[in-house]
This record gives sequence, C-alpha cells and structure tokens, in this order.
Amino acid sequence: MNPDGRAIRVLAVLDASEPHTFVEPTKRIHESQDVSAFLSSKAYSDIMTFILQLNRAMFPSKLPDGTIQTWPLGSDAVQFSAPVRQLQRLLSKLEDIVQEVPPHTGPRRFGNISFRKWHEVLASRASDLLRECLPAELLDKRSSTGQGVTAEAELKAYFLGSWGSGQRLDYGTGHELSFLAFLGAIWKLHGFPQSEFGVEERALVLGVIEPYLELVRLLIKTYTLEPAGSHGVWGLDDHSFIPYVFGSAQLSPAIEDTDLTPEEGSLPDVPNTNAVMKLNIVERERRSNLYFSAIGFIYDVKKGPFWEHSPMLYDISGIQAGWGKINKGMIKMYNAEVLSKFPVVQHFPFGSLFSFDRDPNAVMPPTTVHTTSGPQGRPVVPDAGPPSSSTARPSAEPGTKAPWATAGSSTRAPTAAPWATGRSTEPSRAPATLPDTSRLPPGPMAPTRAPWAGAQTQSPPPGGDGPTKAPWAK
Amino acid sequence: MSDLDRAIEQLRACRLIPESQVRELCYKARELLIEEGNVVSVDAPVTICGDIHGQFHDLMELFRVGGDVPDTNYLFMGDFVDRGFYSLESFLLLLCLKVRYPDRITLIRGNHESRQITTVYGFYDECIRKYGSANVWRYCCEVFDYLALGAIVLGASSELEPSGSGVNNMTQSTMPVDDGELETEVLNSRGEVTMSTYRPRQRSSSDASTDSRNISPPRDISAAPGQTAAPARTGAPGTGASGDGNGSATTSRTGAVLCVHGGLSPLIDSVDKIRLIDRKQEVPHEGAMCDLLWSDPDEIEGWGLSPRGAGFLFGGDIVKQFNHLNGLSLVARAHQLVMEGYKEMFDGGIVTVWSAPNYCYRCGNVAAILELGEDTSSGGTVARSNGEYGRSNGVVGADNTVVSPGRRYRVFEAAAQDTRGMPAKKPVADYFL
Repeated sequence: MNPDGRAIRVLAVLDASEPHTFVEPTKRIHESQDVSAFLSSKAYSDIMTFILQLNRAMFPSKLPDGTIQTWPLGSDAVQFSAPVRQLQRLLSKLEDIVQEVPPHTGPRRFGNISFRKWHEVLASRASDLLRECLPAELLDKRSSTGQGVTAEAELKAYFLGSWGSGQRLDYGTGHELSFLAFLGAIWKLHGFPQSEFGVEERALVLGVIEPYLELVRLLIKTYTLEPAGSHGVWGLDDHSFIPYVFGSAQLSPAIEDTDLTPEEGSLPDVPNTNAVMKLNIVERERRSNLYFSAIGFIYDVKKGPFWEHSPMLYDISGIQAGWGKINKGMIKMYNAEVLSKFPVVQHFPFGSLFSFDRDPNAVMPPTTVHTTSGPQGRPVVPDAGPPSSSTARPSAEPGTKAPWATAGSSTRAPTAAPWATGRSTEPSRAPATLPDTSRLPPGPMAPTRAPWAGAQTQSPPPGGDGPTKAPWAK
Repeated sequence: MSDLDRAIEQLRACRLIPESQVRELCYKARELLIEEGNVVSVDAPVTICGDIHGQFHDLMELFRVGGDVPDTNYLFMGDFVDRGFYSLESFLLLLCLKVRYPDRITLIRGNHESRQITTVYGFYDECIRKYGSANVWRYCCEVFDYLALGAIVLGASSELEPSGSGVNNMTQSTMPVDDGELETEVLNSRGEVTMSTYRPRQRSSSDASTDSRNISPPRDISAAPGQTAAPARTGAPGTGASGDGNGSATTSRTGAVLCVHGGLSPLIDSVDKIRLIDRKQEVPHEGAMCDLLWSDPDEIEGWGLSPRGAGFLFGGDIVKQFNHLNGLSLVARAHQLVMEGYKEMFDGGIVTVWSAPNYCYRCGNVAAILELGEDTSSGGTVARSNGEYGRSNGVVGADNTVVSPGRRYRVFEAAAQDTRGMPAKKPVADYFL
C-alpha cells in the first residue's frame, strides 16, 4: 500500500464516465462473522487508503534544497482550500449549538442529558447546514438512472454519525471513524481540489480533523460524555485514536516523494517519545502536534498518575525506535482495534461511496497483523452451561417512556452490555441463541471479536486493548 | 503468620501474590462460596459498599474510613474488577479477606464479575499484563460463578446513635434533635457530620430513654488500622449505630434490607425466587439472574427498557410493591455512578451506593459506604423480617409498616496519589514491535 516508486495510493474519486447509483447507507455488519466480510470490502479498502494517504501527507517533507518542511498545527505552509474553509465553518456552526444548549445543571449521574438536546438540534439542522457548507452540485449528485437518493443521503449518514450518541451520552472511535468517512465521501465526490499529493491532505488533517477533535473535546467536557465502551485504563485512550496516528507522523523522519514511509526513527530535534510524561513539554507541544494535543486532553480531564490511568500510552512512551515506530504501530493497532472490532464497526452504514461489496483486490486475509498479535495460548473457557432461559419477558409496557426520553433521568455511565444494540427500540434484547463459546477471551492485544460472538469465525479475536467503544455505539 | 495472613499483608501493600497462590486462594474461596446461598443472610451491624472497579488505593481509603476487616463487618455489592488499574490487587485482597474472615465480609456478584464483561472492560487485559497468561483470569472467573447474587441484612436498627462530632454548625437537620429519632446521617472522611435527618418519634416514644443521646466523640479515623477508637456505647467499630437501651419498640419494626448489585427483575417477585436460581454459571444475557445484576431504578412507572441492553429499568411503584410484599424496608444496590456517592430514591425505598471515588480518574465524584447499625432493643433476639415471600402476605396493615433502618453514610474522596511510585515500562503491544 505504500508508495512504490512515485505512485502514492490515494482514495479514488468517482469516475464520471461510469454509471453510479447512490443508496441510503445501511448497516451491514450484524454479527461478528460479518467483520471478515467488511475487512475484504471496498469500504474497508477505501477507508484504509484514505487514512494512509492522510498519514503519509503528515510526515515532514524533505525539500529539493535539502531543507525540511514540517507540518505543525497552525502551519503557515498549509493553505486551506475553499472547501476546507467551508468545513471549518460547518464545525464552528456546530460549536455554536453548544452555546445554545448549555449543560443541564440539575441532579444528574454523569453524562449530561442536554447532549440529547444538542443532538436534536443538530439533526434538525443537518440538511440546512450541509447545504450551507457544501456545494449544491455535490449534494445533489444523482444516480445515473436519475432515480433514488442523491449523494446527500450518504454524506448525511456519516455526518450525523460523527458526534457521539445522544442516547447513551457517549463518544468513541466509531464516531471518529464516521467523520473520516464523511470527509472521504466528500473526497470521492470531487469535493476537494485536485492538487499535488499532500496539499489537500494536510489541509484536511490540520484544518478540519484537528478542529473536529477540538470540537469533540468540547462536547466531551461540556456534556461529560462517557467513553463509548471502554477497557478502562487498559485502552489506548477513552475516546480518540486518529490523533495518535497523524500526530506521530508529524514527528517522524522527513521523506521525499519517492521514499517509503518510514517505520522507525524520529525527526531531529522533536520531543522524545517519553516526553508525554513531562507536563511542560506536553503543554508546549500540544499546540503544534496532534499526538500531544490528545495527550494534553488526557491531562486536562484525568487526575492521577499518568502511568496508572494511561498505562498503554505510558508503555508506548518507552519505545526507543522513535515516532516512526509508533506511527507504524498505531496504524496496525487502528486496523486491529478499531476497524476490525465488531463492537465498533457494527454501526457503520454502507452505501455506494463506502460499499460493502467485496473488493476484488482484497487479499485474504486482509489483516495479517491480527493473526500475529493474538495470544500464544488461547485459554479454554469452561462452558458454564446454557444461559437460563426465560420466556415471557415483559417488554416495555405501553406508556413506559423510553429511557432516553425520560426527562431528568440520565443513562449516564452505565456499563452497557456488549451484546446490547442500544439503538433498538424493540423490547428484544440479545438474541437467545448467543453461543456460549462467546466467552472465548481475547488476546492481550489481539484484534477484535465481540465477546458474545459466534464460535470459530474467520474474524480475528477481540482486542484486548485499544480505545474501545461501546459495542452498541453508533 | 499463616500464608494467608502473609498474602493479605502483601496485597495490602499493593503487591501481587504468585500465581500458584492465587490458584490456591481461588480454590479455597470457591469451597467457601459454594456453601453460601444465592441470598446470603447478614446480621447488622454491617457496612455496605458499592462498586470498586480496581481502584485499589481508594479501597484502602474505604477501609480507613469504614474500619478494617474484621473489626467492621462488610458487605460488598460487586463490581470489584474492570476499568481500574488494580482490579487484581483489589479483588484478590477482598477474596483473601473473605477466606480469612468468612463471617466478617460478604461478597456478592456484580455484572462485571463475568467472563464476557471482563474481556471487554479491562480485567482480562490486566491479568495478561500482570501475570503473562490468562490463568489467573480463569481462576478468578471460576470464583465469580460462585459469588452470591444478593444478601439480606437482618436486625438493623431503625435509629442511629448520633455519631456526634463537633461540627454541628454544619449540620442541616430536618428537625430539632429532641423531636425525632436520627434516621440518616452523612459523615465526611474525617468523621464529621455534614447532614442529619430525623423522623418523627412514634407514639411509643414516651420511652424517653432516647434522650440519653450523649454525644460521642468522632471516631478517630487516624488511629492505626484495627485500632479505631469506637465510642463506648457503640457496637462493632465501623457501625457506630447501635446502642443499648436506647431503642424503643419502634426499632423492632425495621424491615430487612435486600442488597443486590443492580436491582429488581420482572421475573422475581419474591426474595425466595432468587433462591431458586441456579447461579453457578456465567451471567446470562437475560433472565432473572441477569436482571439482578444489570437493572437500574429510574423515574418511571413499571418496567422500562434499559439503555444498557441488559436488565431493565424499574420505577418507584415496583420498588414499593416489592418491598411491601417481602417485608423489606430498603433495597441497597450499586451499579450506577452517583456523584454524591449515594442516592436514595422512591421515598427511601432504594438506595444506590457507589464506592469508587473520582471514577476512572475523571468523573470527579465522591464515594460512599452505608452503615447499618444493630438493633439491640430486644436483647438481640428481635423479631425480624426475613425477607421471605408471603410473610407479610400483602396485607400488612398501616400500623404494621416496616420502618427503614437508620442509615449512616460515610463519604470519602479519592486517595492521595503522591505515594505511588512509577513502575518500569512494560514491553509494548505487538503492534509496536
């Protein structure tokens, strides 16, 4: 996937000469087995391509005159195109909604129920906002047949999925993924100017993704959003992943167009990998670097020893082989702990731009890292016998308000059942046929399988770590 | 000193014990737990605790505030593991204490004491990281399967003996002291009363012996562990709520207290039905056992869907009816973070107790434990509601209504962190090799 020669793989835009049919995106990953299908889908390939493309662009550049150009946050060297500036406007309009919807001050558990209101406002305005900030010819792109939904339907699905769950008052990497897909969808629709490699990519990371992350942090702090599914201290980060990818790229060795993406080493004179432990350096670097920006946020919201509340990042800070090594590891980990995790991707909707169709070029297995990162000896879990079956479960009684509609009650901080679908309004719960083999535990750092997932699937085992989100999270 | 005492000492110092010892411990614990019913009977005085979630240093703070085992009789309502850094140290210490002092500590199962949940929420990762294999995780999970599902506290006093610290100016009393009996009291971690509530004295309170509420000095919680300077007239340290001779006839009407991790189940209308569950299994995804560990009370009527995807929401009417039918005065449960450490709902019919301060290093909440005192008004042989279904037969007269127990909440904050040394970095995940 890395550039061979000068060919840097970038996300392909729609070919106007080919017939195309937009479809309303729908969920396609219903059980853990479907994750393997996802991992050989066009959508998976497009997402990975887009992330690697953005990642590659964030490595410092070796200029022909031998000087090195870095790409810090706020860099003058990065120009924002008109579409990028429009997306910034979009983000600032969402920020305005935060002003309109102050957090509820009454008794509460943790997550602030006003976030539901924020979501309602967002949903009610989404079409107008998109129309205001994206070109009409892009939103109104029709299928070749002239029938069916327009491109707007697909864009809107990813846009709305990017802001946490108003129902559960949480936010996680699945929402982050949705925002990447939103940008990728615009990209595929020719929404960004065609320029030389890196120009628009850098503008997207520095000009849109970082402001997006800042907005998300504002939401998290304002409405005290819960991590969407969490390994607690044993995850990488409660909410985010992507800043660790792009941020480590920013500090990696400089490259020329033809160079392979470095897999170790650091740019000279950047902070050492263990600088995350030094508050003064974090405070300085968070202004220019996405990795430190994320670390800084952890320090903002958490009290206690860093090594204790963030042991994974602490261990990573001991890596001697530089930021390039961390970057490579982060990408592998993202692939395994986010994209390969059933609880995360089960809510990703697939349309025409991110298609569930099989990618004819997909290599099987597409994610070899998974198989190598599993535990050596998988423990055998004794079968605890069939779950006690109970029929005639009372469903929500007529007149019972949906929990998320109950004024004054918040659903904060609960541990949600991993098998929960969360968004279902039906009284049904976990399928009664959940196999006991579900309890096969995951490997320490191994990729994903939902704990309740079926027995021997092709899909990799569940991740032991990583910024897990709630399985039910959107 | 026995191996067990040595293990306790080591775990108290936040140092893990060898895998072989864990195995032995878990075996012993299972032998012990298998003898317990699904609903353990516990006599007051008892100190009831909520979620711990691997916050070991805060568990130590809990013991500092509430008294040590075995001086204080403890009941932990589950969720020992997951999310925090020290699930192993915390759970193994509690388990050691259980094996060492089986009658002084009761552990019941939380929804996190499950194979499936621990693989998602961190405990599995922690075991792998700290022991290098899943063996210890497996041993622990086998113990989880044997934990009781609930407990019934019997013989709690309806009236607290005032702890009487010297900060009465901070006290917000609902009533003048002389007009009522002390029903609830909230103390901070220094043992100072920050709030008290009183309930009107019953007719029989012509028994004026309650006037002898001599103010006891605050408990000297800075004393060495196990050496708490309990007020002379209180019972076991850490309960502080008993007293001889000051009870009136009213106290004997105190109903039993059901303790369960999550809450009620639409499939369970009596405590006896809990006793019929075959509990020795992984927590199922649905059914009575699941609900007891997963449900939450909510401001609704009847039953509602839980946003957790397991268990149900239940309203005040459900709690009232359940308590009435079972002769209970209170349901104590944990399972939900509450910023103030405890939260009473539905006219005191149910209380949430949360014992993990500054949950996940960031929630900014305080923690609480709930002390129920012993009713000694009838020489220790009080007529007790035992929580059996049918006992009250649903026709309890108005004058026969059970009275809630006196409740003393001790609220505490996260333990200081400056004493924790920084460990060496561990090898990173495979991704980074």
